[in-house]
Amino acid sequence: MAHTKARTGNDGISRRGLLKGASALGGLAAGSGALTGFPTIWAQNIKDVVLHHAGPPVTAIPQIAAQATKDLGFTVQMQATENADLLNRFLSQSSSIDCADVSLTASKYLVGRDVLQTIPLAKVAHWDKTLPLFTRNTYPDGRQASRQGISPYNVIYATGPDGRKFSDHPTEFLTGVPTIANADTLGIRPDLAGRPITSWADLISPEFKGRAALQDQSTVGVIDVAMAVEARGDIKYGDKGNMTRDEIDKTIKLMMDIKRSGQFRSFWTSFDQSVNLMASGEVVIQSMWSPAVTAVRTRGVPCVFQPLKEGYRGWGYTMGVMKHVDGLKLDCFYEYLNWYTGGFEGAFIAREGYYSAQPENVRKFLTVAEWDYWYGGKPAATDILDPYGKLMEKAGRSRDGGSFDERMGNIAVWNSVMEEDRFLTRKWNEFISS
Amino acid sequence: MNARAPRSRIGDRRPWTFYALATLFSLFLLFLYGPMAVIYLLSFQGPDGGVTFPMVGHSVFWFEDILRPGQMANIPVSFSRSISLAVVVSLLTVVISVAAGLGFRRRFPGSGALFYLAIASLVMRSLLVGFGIGLGFQFLGWNTGLFTSALGAQLTWTLPFGLFAMFAVVNRFNRSWEEAAADLGASAWQRLVHVTLPILLPGILGVAVGALTLSYDEYARTTLTIGTKNTLPLEIYALISSATSPTLFAIGTITTAVSFAIIGVTMLAIFRMQRWRGPIGRQHG
Amino acid sequence: MTSWLQVTPLAVILIALFALPMILFLAVSFFDYDRTGIYPAFILDNYHDLVSSPSTLRVYGSSLKFAFIVWAITLFLGFNIAWFLIFHVRSGKVRAVLFLACAIPFWTSGIIRTIAWIPFLGRNGAFNQLLMALHVTTKPLEFLLFSDFAVVITYVHLFTLLMVGPVANSLAKIDPALLEAARDAGASRWQTMVSVVFPLAKTGIALGSILVFTQVMGDYFVVKQMSGGQSASIVSALSTEIAAMQYPPAAASAMVLVVFVAVMVAGLMRIVDVRRELVQ
Repeated sequence: MAHTKARTGNDGISRRGLLKGASALGGLAAGSGALTGFPTIWAQNIKDVVLHHAGPPVTAIPQIAAQATKDLGFTVQMQATENADLLNRFLSQSSSIDCADVSLTASKYLVGRDVLQTIPLAKVAHWDKTLPLFTRNTYPDGRQASRQGISPYNVIYATGPDGRKFSDHPTEFLTGVPTIANADTLGIRPDLAGRPITSWADLISPEFKGRAALQDQSTVGVIDVAMAVEARGDIKYGDKGNMTRDEIDKTIKLMMDIKRSGQFRSFWTSFDQSVNLMASGEVVIQSMWSPAVTAVRTRGVPCVFQPLKEGYRGWGYTMGVMKHVDGLKLDCFYEYLNWYTGGFEGAFIAREGYYSAQPENVRKFLTVAEWDYWYGGKPAATDILDPYGKLMEKAGRSRDGGSFDERMGNIAVWNSVMEEDRFLTRKWNEFISS
Repeated sequence: MNARAPRSRIGDRRPWTFYALATLFSLFLLFLYGPMAVIYLLSFQGPDGGVTFPMVGHSVFWFEDILRPGQMANIPVSFSRSISLAVVVSLLTVVISVAAGLGFRRRFPGSGALFYLAIASLVMRSLLVGFGIGLGFQFLGWNTGLFTSALGAQLTWTLPFGLFAMFAVVNRFNRSWEEAAADLGASAWQRLVHVTLPILLPGILGVAVGALTLSYDEYARTTLTIGTKNTLPLEIYALISSATSPTLFAIGTITTAVSFAIIGVTMLAIFRMQRWRGPIGRQHG
Repeated sequence: MTSWLQVTPLAVILIALFALPMILFLAVSFFDYDRTGIYPAFILDNYHDLVSSPSTLRVYGSSLKFAFIVWAITLFLGFNIAWFLIFHVRSGKVRAVLFLACAIPFWTSGIIRTIAWIPFLGRNGAFNQLLMALHVTTKPLEFLLFSDFAVVITYVHLFTLLMVGPVANSLAKIDPALLEAARDAGASRWQTMVSVVFPLAKTGIALGSILVFTQVMGDYFVVKQMSGGQSASIVSALSTEIAAMQYPPAAASAMVLVVFVAVMVAGLMRIVDVRRELVQ
């Protein structure tokens, strides 16, 4: 599909902006990029630029866009879209999106479909601050991290500037720059569980019949069950994040048996449901997200994001840029990218419980108490507030699972899109309808 | 009220069926408003409360939260987008489906195909319809937007409803009225404005309200065609997938309160119109 | 000729915005696909996968079951409510107010309404609390939420009005004097219903039935939310496929569904030809 310049803008102004930008860039070509973080583009040219950022609700937050607009001199607009729809929006209306938060699993679908353009490594200002876990798949102590499922390392490098294929080793062309990540585990109601929960196997333990729940999404749900099934010793997987047909068959068959036994009270699709299920006592053990656990707790209901001996399920997002973005707007995107990974955004989402891929930058935007609580795993020195100033945790409490290194350092598997995706989707449908 | 006369004679002494049906209707209303009562109640949740029971104190904190800059920042503006879109969709639906409803009174070549096309549009998975329209715009190099692609996508949804509703409305219409007017020398336009439309008015208002409701709440066809600015359902759906707060319930409570207010005003308007409509409408009853 | 002019706007919109994209999807339903793309081809695999999957029969069965139960309930409720509004409510204004009172709950976003079912029907929800306070039960009823029961209740909640509208419009056409005449001639209430009311109201009933039936068959959201994801609808499989960008099988299953429903509607049209009823 040919993308013409005329199609670039949504605002009708950008064509004029492009022409101006072209002449401006002529004079600045040498400097552009080398001085990122510094206004390398003339302010009068960029003030008309509107950069449209599409993302999942977790990251597309109005305050972050407002701050970026203030700091950068051009307008950043954010549009939040539910995850599955976001992926389809990339195809159905890619020309109304300029840049986007692309989940690691989504990039597995997108690369090859000619939607994203690559970002040259040279344009990325904070690459050296981006954790090696994302760029090299190694921990600070040099250990290799898990590559089961879609780890960032699997999907951020493209073989060439056309970005049509993933490279299995680092290259100069990025499909996206890692921004957000987290380590997920099971959320439990310690008051109702009746005993300590230590293993993923407890998710499918008959004790919790009718009081367990799963996230209704094949990229996550299958992995959660695989963790449980493997922990219980039913199946030993080669790679939980990339099962063979045989493994998928066995897993789904087992899941159907478990479902028929009445194990699951519900399959949830939205954050809100997961919170309600837990807070109302419908469910005592389920797959969950970190801020959802906190949301349950702020209602005075005990809830723990339980660390488990098998490790965590990791997930993450990268910032990508659409194919049609070019000229001045593309330069604005690079500015924005480097602002986005510069710490403000990371600090904002840290207060919701998510991690940035550039923690060093985030630290500058957090108080010492906040840093110690969210990243350090230490007891909160002061009350911990959410990004909107509401009380999240009282002083003295520490984060479930401990520090960044303890949590992100113990990823067993990442959310996944498998090679046998086509087969898995069919099987997942059979499971849901059984 | 002469046409009503025989009916009220029946009703001078209410039959037992009246009481049975009145009870049924009341129970139905109770059933409709039962879950809504939960919404109204929980919207007055205290600042530390959540979207489920128990109530943690009570306050108007969540009503203020709608206007407070924060997570809900986009709610008021997306609300106004939704309302303006709903009004446009409703107007177009009325005009187009009334015309089509009248047109379907005669068989014409292709009427069957059009009928089943409307059926298909009711059944087709909405996300696919939106996806197709989005792709079409992309292919033609047009930008998707609120009053272009999203409007079109919603029309594929509201028009079949409008059409079938108009079938029921037009079905009760006795064409001899039109013919009588023609005999008296009325032009086609005069017949439409002075005879046909006034008689169909209650049904048409029903279609307008229905289309407004459908459009205001539409999600699946809009999400892939909306362009860069979210409507209210899209914004709310995005919000509940990352956060949870009784603010959403406060929006529901306000919506209901405002709806009742609007209906009061509309009733007044309808009352005026009925007086203006004169004897023809009354005889039709 | 006038007819054509009158239906042209409708036809243009439905053809441009609905039929054309659907032709595209019809073509796509024969395409090949993998994780990263779809490939023009003419293969029947997508249809074959659909027909051979054990879940297909199951979801069609379950959707038909829901559609039938919901149709029966909404028909009963819808007819009686419409009857009440048309023949028992004397003032047109009161009637309009009652109609709108039924519509107002739907002006609160469906998403918000759905959230409210959990605190209402849940284990510790308002309804169970009420029942226990009234000593109707001692233990919370589990089947109220995340069950077929919850799905049916929600459908009835959503779709009864779709039946009330057309039926009320049909009933309003009946001259009350006719009912009186029937009674004077010695017909029982039931005989009047069968031989006078039903023939005159059948268009409305048919239209209401079409609306309810198509909505239940095409639903995805309610089944997913209210069964807690435990049951599936025809469209839920399709949604999983769209979420994985697998458009060819999604298109194939959408086409099959549309044809299936169209055939059902055509069957209904053999009993009550809605369009012929319009031609007077």
